[in-house]
Amino acid sequence: MASRHLIIGCGTAGLNCIRTIREEESRPSEITLVAPERPYSRMVLPYYLGRSIAESHVYTATPASLAAWSIKSLLGRRAARLDSLNHTLTLDDQSTVEFDDCVIATGSRAAKPPVAGADGPGVHCFWTLDEARAVIAGMNPGSHVVMIGAGFIAFTILNSILARGARLTIVEVAPRILPRMVDATCAEIVAPWLAKHGVAVRTGAVLTGIEESRGKRRLTFAEGDPLQADVVIMATGIRANLEWLEGSGIEMSSAPGGGVVVDDHLRANVKSVYAAGDVARGANLVTGAPEVHAIEPTAQEHGRVVGANMAGRDVAYRGSLVMNIVEVCHLDVASFGEWEDESADVYTAARPDRSQYRKLLFHGGRLTGAVICGPAADIWTTNDVGMLKGLVYSGVDLSSWKPHLARNPFDVKPAFLAAHTTARLLPLTVLGRPARSPELPQSVFVR
Amino acid sequence: MQTGSFQPSKSVIRVSPFEGYTSYAPYTCTQCQEGWCMTACPVGAIQITAVGAKDVIDDKCVGCKLCTIACPYGTMFYDGDSRKAFKCNLCGGAPACADVCPTEAITYEDAASVDWIGPFAAERTAYVLRTDAGAPAAAGVR
Repeated sequence: MASRHLIIGCGTAGLNCIRTIREEESRPSEITLVAPERPYSRMVLPYYLGRSIAESHVYTATPASLAAWSIKSLLGRRAARLDSLNHTLTLDDQSTVEFDDCVIATGSRAAKPPVAGADGPGVHCFWTLDEARAVIAGMNPGSHVVMIGAGFIAFTILNSILARGARLTIVEVAPRILPRMVDATCAEIVAPWLAKHGVAVRTGAVLTGIEESRGKRRLTFAEGDPLQADVVIMATGIRANLEWLEGSGIEMSSAPGGGVVVDDHLRANVKSVYAAGDVARGANLVTGAPEVHAIEPTAQEHGRVVGANMAGRDVAYRGSLVMNIVEVCHLDVASFGEWEDESADVYTAARPDRSQYRKLLFHGGRLTGAVICGPAADIWTTNDVGMLKGLVYSGVDLSSWKPHLARNPFDVKPAFLAAHTTARLLPLTVLGRPARSPELPQSVFVR
Repeated sequence: MQTGSFQPSKSVIRVSPFEGYTSYAPYTCTQCQEGWCMTACPVGAIQITAVGAKDVIDDKCVGCKLCTIACPYGTMFYDGDSRKAFKCNLCGGAPACADVCPTEAITYEDAASVDWIGPFAAERTAYVLRTDAGAPAAAGVR
């Protein structure tokens, strides 16, 4: 069994991997962590931006906690070259680390569109902690913030920008908002909600350039009037950090989405090398197709499965479920699985006056995707969010309920209960054992 | 009980009426072995308590709602006032719902989690499905 583990990346996937290795083993193995930054959670950066948490709250491990877990941390260092045959990683300072097995968990970075002025002052991304600090430093009450992109990342920081007293305009190149998270009908419910809360939205707008003039930015578009902004935030997508693997012999997909090709144990083509999180092209739980799911829950599950396997367990991964939730100005918007699928039986219901929307997608008796939207204060919205996940995740047979759900897609709860979904879910675990509390028992690490 | 106020919308145990019956069924967290809410939390704000319940550590929760989509049972909630997630924590080992239930419909026992509500709900909803079977084809079907 491998005794020298190397973790490349300290995001969600890397840290879950480390924790799981320590949970699984009876005697501590040697673990080396290589990462350019201190470990923190990107998921909570919007709350730091919105001032509801302090900066110290974003860290998921400290030098002290890593030391307590007996991790050899090489923080501030980037992986530069992987020699998978000789089990050696070269870092950006030309030092080397030898390993018996390793996990590639280098995550992704924000990608800006190739537009003139996109690298100028006052134009930010919001992905890393440093980028969050730069946005905070540049924003004041009354500032006009223009956000390029109306996708998930943009929507996670929308509330925080408003909470800082800034005015917000969102610009989207697609004809509607949230093009990769919900369908057009749902977008048509969210858009007026945003307008009601003072957020200006311009869709179908192609940004052509950003000019700096007298401390402000002037954004020009292929059509329509230019916009003046104090701060520009590029929320235009992310790109996996995989360039450093060129020439390593690790197989990467050339299909859309790319990613390291992995098997059901999340092993790359070289068996002592695993990949997890945004860089791994793992199975889609619903379709079985290999896909990159650059979302927090996938990074968590990948990290745990890889950690268990590195510790000598034999854990096959069932696949990841695409799911996203954002709350914008107290409106919940969430989607699960294959929410846009021409070949599915699709049942929808909208109550635009109450900003409510449901979409259920079936293949036979199986719910394969769902969209849910409604005011966060409406308890039925939050109740049903989890149940929809349970129905898609368990794949429970809803054949007898289809006519009822076709008539009323809002009435998910009796179908969930009566289809014995709980019985189907209770034995399911990601690692084939009960999960442990996230704090680690310190006694394991006394050598 | 958990939120310190009488507010049914903030209850962590919710009673489902079944159409056409006078019987009801309470539904709450099973304290499942996977602990989907706990493993999903990006900041480790959900932990296992001394009585084996998964509970939210308020000081750590940032209110990102990831646990509400990770929990496949629909028993993870979000309090818009405190901006924190909340859930059944078994009241530290003495669940108030079981204490106050006058008919002993809710009791607190140390036993493996089972889907006791599934068979009950299946029986009580047969009426709904029979009604649907005789109903005209659905609107909104594509």
